[in-house]
Amino acid sequence: MKVTVCIGSSCHIKGSRPIVETLQKLIAENKLGDRLELAGTFCMNKCREGVCVSIDDKVYSVSPQTAEAFFNENIKAKLM
Amino acid sequence: MNDLCADIGYSSINHIGEQLCGDHVDVVENGDDSSVAVLADGLGSGVKASILSTLTSKIISTMMAAGLSVEECVETIAATLPVCSVRGVAYSTFTIIHLRNNEYADLIQYDNPQIIMIRDNASYDYPKKEMNIGGKTIYKSTIRLRENDVFIAMSDGCPHAGIGKAYNFGWKLEDIADFMEVMVMSNYTAKTLSTILIEECSRLYGGEPGDDATACVVRVRKRVPMNILFGPPRNPDDAGRMMSLFFSKRGKHIICGGTTASIAAKWLRRPLVASLDYNSGSDVPPTASIEGVDLVTEGVITVNKVVQYARDYINDNKNYSQWNFKNDGASQICRLLFEEATDINFYVGRAINPAHQNPDLPINFNIKMNLVEDLSDALKKMGKRIKVSYF
Repeated sequence: MKVTVCIGSSCHIKGSRPIVETLQKLIAENKLGDRLELAGTFCMNKCREGVCVSIDDKVYSVSPQTAEAFFNENIKAKLM
Repeated sequence: MNDLCADIGYSSINHIGEQLCGDHVDVVENGDDSSVAVLADGLGSGVKASILSTLTSKIISTMMAAGLSVEECVETIAATLPVCSVRGVAYSTFTIIHLRNNEYADLIQYDNPQIIMIRDNASYDYPKKEMNIGGKTIYKSTIRLRENDVFIAMSDGCPHAGIGKAYNFGWKLEDIADFMEVMVMSNYTAKTLSTILIEECSRLYGGEPGDDATACVVRVRKRVPMNILFGPPRNPDDAGRMMSLFFSKRGKHIICGGTTASIAAKWLRRPLVASLDYNSGSDVPPTASIEGVDLVTEGVITVNKVVQYARDYINDNKNYSQWNFKNDGASQICRLLFEEATDINFYVGRAINPAHQNPDLPINFNIKMNLVEDLSDALKKMGKRIKVSYF
């Protein structure tokens, strides 16, 4: 599984950084580091929906407040 | 002709309690490859000293740049400077560094501490010729320039630093030279070298300078071109033309902007890999990489940070320790532009990103164009040659 977080200007302002930090923390806590790849990307051309996070080819709109729920629902549930 | 150029920078601290500095540095460029830097130290401190030193440095730099002789400059000053009512003399000491075609330096010194010259990382004792002009003893030297030569001119506030506090007899010139030899090896810019020297003086004075102290540093270096790409072209059909112009230029290549980087990666047929490394506490987005490009960063937020650093650099230079050591995108751009580059070509795309035209976001089109102007202005003030092309 590949999870990609947009770190372009618009998403950065909307909170890419806390989202990346939340995901990194949750991945470490759940020991999922070897089962998924967390990466960054510049603009996904969906700036209005930011912060854009894609899992494989599907794009989700995430905010720092919903990051943990997003992880539980879309990453943890699928891998565990 | 050679491909050398001069990096000139200076810093001062004021006598404690004074709002004006009694020392003044004036730099005049004379054509592409010649310049005159004059450091003058006015008698006393405060307003009177400031007026004397400003007049002296302005008159000398303007006259020298116009090709007049030292004798004429000195005579003009003697005839022009207002006479001090307390001491009955018109007096300002001065040091002149006149760079001719970036091949020769004429050093002309009157009563200031002797210029320290560092060549091949060691202080270099250059020959001096004594001259007498209007009763004043003036020393003149002519030196053929080499790459990495550094000249350090000072007002007497520097060697007087620490008298009776850190050192009994102040900071001796040999010790200043030893101190600066080490700093010169680290490849700091002239401005940063002068700031480091003046900060050390301030420390020796215990933060309460007993005199105005000024350092002016001239570093002789090779010209280094640098190219920076910022924003996609307004007409997408121009992307190919913009990329081929950008990548055909000599020197390092910096790309700022996510969309811009994607266009470049596509043009180069190389993958664009973004990192997630937030470089401990930095407030700018992470960098990315494309094979064949020296640095890839996010756009507006990163460049905005660079502009902030640039403004600080040309004023107080308080933040040099930040961009000099941090590894975020903005700090890396600063090191490339402020320290390494001498000639910078900007390739600016004027495409409008509709998603950025939201009043809540501090990244709209006007802000972007202003950033380019602010940055190129600041870089010009650092003595860089700037060319901006819009697409």
